[in-house]
Amino acid sequence: MAVRDSALNTGQQQAPALFRAGQTVRDGLSLILRTNTGRIGFAIVAVHLALALAGPWIAPYPPTDYHLDARFSGPSSEYWLGTDEFGRDVLSRVLAGARSIIWISVIGTIFGVTLGTVVGVTSGYLGGKIDQFIMRIVDWFLAIPSLLLTILVINMASQRFSNIDHSWIIIFVIGISFMPNNSRVIRSAALAIKPLEFVQSARLRGEPTLYIMFREVLPNVFPVVAVEATIRLSFALLLTAGLGFLGLGVKPPEPDWGLMVSENADHLGTVPWAALAPGLAMASLVVGINLLADGIRQAQNLPETGE
Amino acid sequence: MNHADNSDAPIIQLENLAVTFQTPRGAFRAVRSASLEIARGEVVGLVGESGCGKSTVAFAMMDYLPGTANVEGAVRFEGMDISQFTDAELRELRGNRIAMVYQDPITSLNPSMRVGPQIEEVLKHHLDMDSEAAQRRAVELFESVGLADPERIGRRYPHQLSGGMQQRVVIAMALACDPHLLIMDEPTTGLDVTTEATILDLIVELKDRVNAGILFVSHNLGVIARVADRVAVMYAGEIVEEAPVHDLFNNPSHPYTAGLLSCVPQPPGDDGIERQLRSIPGSVFDAQMEQTNSCLFAPRCPLAREECSTSTPPLEGVADGHVARCFYHDEVSDGIWGDLLERVVKPAPAETTPALYAEDLRKFYGGGRRKYILFGPPVRPPVRALVDVDMRVDGGRTLGIVGESGSGKSTAARAIVGLEARDSGDLQLRGQALEGDVEDRTTDQRSAMRMIFQNPTASLNPKLPIKHAINRALRKFAGVRRGELRERSEELMNSVGLDPQYLDRLPSELSGGQQQRVALASAFAANPDIVVADEAVSALDVSVQAQVLNLLEQRQRETGNAYVFITHDLGVVRYVSDDILVLYAGHVAEYGPSEAVLSSPSHPYTEALLSAAPVPDPDAEPTHIRLEGSVPTLRSAFRGCFFAGRCPRKLGDICDTEPPPEQRGPGGDGHMINCHIPVEELEKLQRNGVAPSRAGA
Repeated sequence: MAVRDSALNTGQQQAPALFRAGQTVRDGLSLILRTNTGRIGFAIVAVHLALALAGPWIAPYPPTDYHLDARFSGPSSEYWLGTDEFGRDVLSRVLAGARSIIWISVIGTIFGVTLGTVVGVTSGYLGGKIDQFIMRIVDWFLAIPSLLLTILVINMASQRFSNIDHSWIIIFVIGISFMPNNSRVIRSAALAIKPLEFVQSARLRGEPTLYIMFREVLPNVFPVVAVEATIRLSFALLLTAGLGFLGLGVKPPEPDWGLMVSENADHLGTVPWAALAPGLAMASLVVGINLLADGIRQAQNLPETGE
Repeated sequence: MNHADNSDAPIIQLENLAVTFQTPRGAFRAVRSASLEIARGEVVGLVGESGCGKSTVAFAMMDYLPGTANVEGAVRFEGMDISQFTDAELRELRGNRIAMVYQDPITSLNPSMRVGPQIEEVLKHHLDMDSEAAQRRAVELFESVGLADPERIGRRYPHQLSGGMQQRVVIAMALACDPHLLIMDEPTTGLDVTTEATILDLIVELKDRVNAGILFVSHNLGVIARVADRVAVMYAGEIVEEAPVHDLFNNPSHPYTAGLLSCVPQPPGDDGIERQLRSIPGSVFDAQMEQTNSCLFAPRCPLAREECSTSTPPLEGVADGHVARCFYHDEVSDGIWGDLLERVVKPAPAETTPALYAEDLRKFYGGGRRKYILFGPPVRPPVRALVDVDMRVDGGRTLGIVGESGSGKSTAARAIVGLEARDSGDLQLRGQALEGDVEDRTTDQRSAMRMIFQNPTASLNPKLPIKHAINRALRKFAGVRRGELRERSEELMNSVGLDPQYLDRLPSELSGGQQQRVALASAFAANPDIVVADEAVSALDVSVQAQVLNLLEQRQRETGNAYVFITHDLGVVRYVSDDILVLYAGHVAEYGPSEAVLSSPSHPYTEALLSAAPVPDPDAEPTHIRLEGSVPTLRSAFRGCFFAGRCPRKLGDICDTEPPPEQRGPGGDGHMINCHIPVEELEKLQRNGVAPSRAGA
């Protein structure tokens, strides 16, 4: 398995950390680039990331600048994707909007998957009554629709803390709503590892339970975690955009893809690009991430010998 | 397809077959050079260690290889080159002319379909039979493979049949279209010895009855000796020797064949002196990728000279129908693998506290479920996995535990080391009482009792370098500090015959034998008093198995540790054990010094096990006692003798109503046989070779 040197495998007497980190990145890349699906996905996501990072420098205008003389203008050499009802440049806003949505989704996914992995490995490895107890709580979480939960949390949080940044609330909600599904997947992976002899040998050595769970079992469920995290990331993007669309995300006039779609949906007839551009950006990013996830999964199913 | 039924032409003919797989890591030469012919009514055995290309040869006979395979040479079926066949012809070939039986019967059968309709489907599809004819034929086929009551069996699902019955169904299915060639790829490897013996009987009988050629692929020389007429030995993708079965076993002419034969633990000779086991150094793992101009076996060969590493030996005729790929085949003899040394006889145990002592060890599974979840009567009685088992192992000695799968061997091992807490019974390590769970035992106790598992690949964490297991054991048990770890772990690696630079490799980069040595190194890290080995050599090839057994024995001589050695292989247990415990369905059938247990009189179950074990000698007289079915799952509602259901020497009602008495055997103080038949009577029956009447399944 190419993800063998996961970042978690930093045992004693290893080669220097820098070398191992390089190895991890190289292994990860070779895994992603092994299949065509992975390559295409990687290309799409890389373009998105590059544009998001370079956004402030390549955008023709500041995203919140009004050009009142050029409201509702179509694509032109001056405004490549036209302007919206306040005369703001759509291209600049799409470029700027990428940052917040990617940042929120990535942090939220990391939070949720980490939480799910800890819960899943714990539940799967310990088993028995503890497993039953944890899984029933997880079921209870699963029963709450994530959008409903988000709206609830955002309302409560905005009432309590008046000036709270909505991004953090969304990250929190993504984490909480991803934990249940994620922990179920990781739990079943951990269950498959638990009866293996190396886990039993660790027990016979008298290793502490936490050590076995996170040093012996975790590295072996890591490939599952990687696929899971990638798939979850696209869900996180959709959830973030959906919240923006409902007006629960980033506050106007900050650029946000979901918000842009909802703001400009009424003017689809006159300036279709103002709503379509952020929508297409969103769609292509989600497709790219899903392809990436498929690529990782396919690459891992390949037998080692290639026979 | 025009089948000229030319009975002179061999059914299948391989000419310099070579198969190369394209892998991301480069070309993998699975088969380098294989020429072989199979005639009608002939059983050709194909033998070799794993990774030698046996299965690839079998699949190449049907042109059934993945797209990454590149095939050179010719495969001719009844004189026709199969590479010229169209897809339709190939389908016809695979379905009607060539049939295959695989290792694991349960994966060859559709789990959601009754076995009768499964075979009828084959008949309808390939032979255009109508339903009624197919049904009649299916019953005939089931009968022909020795399935009693075929109609009832046809109505069962695969999971409702025992492993032996499943394999019989698969064989019946393979025979359905009267194939010209039957390929059997390790057909008995996954089965218990007792079941294996009955399936081998069937194959021996079939070869006289069906007019087909049979290719029998196996790694087990004993099995090959029983069924084959002619044997081809493969090493690293090459056929290195081919001969009629008697010639091959009596006069092996390739060093590898001779080595394989001397790796199998043999019973003591007529002089009563037990010989030390010899082994082939190294493993086939190293020869797999190379593409050199030399004898592939040279790195492991005791006869290797200059010539062997500079040119490739051709297949040379040794005798009529006997060829070997060796320059020095004249010099191959039994002695080339080292002199037959007499085994060092172990001193009798000193009167001290035993290394391990167990009394009335008991473990039941399940039975915790109640009718109303937490309350009410138990849903059903628990499975009696281990019932009142006693054992004693002295320092420097080895206790072998034998039995079929389901007999409670592994449960015993797990209860001893504490992976499963025992329900009741005394367990003492050097006179100290042991807690049930390993987590509740002290570090000293854990360090004094270590375990080696069956599957070497799974016993090392695939994501961590192999030094992990060794270092952790050293730090936990030997108190080695970080700075000294490297030195100590390198010492340990050397002591198990491994290159210390492997320490930084991942387990997947090592062969199975090397992985098992790492497991040994980790177990020996802190000089344990006792090592529990659960089928520790079962997954290894014979040559590697011999290396590991010798290593274990050497270790015992040097440090005086004790072993509890669990295995289903009677040859191995005879070789390693001082005492033997025979388990059946969780009960002790027989217990005592190994010679006493393995010679008559013995418990009928021990007798059946001995009778079933394949002997690597084609002249060995076939034995008669066969057990049908498999070990039952005993729940508490049973009376009488635990073995009554399958006992070939069952007396009558008494066996069903009264538990057997514990009889003192002739093997001295420690020898006991749990059976209703008086010991003298048993001795008389077994000495005269009186075959019991079949008691049925």
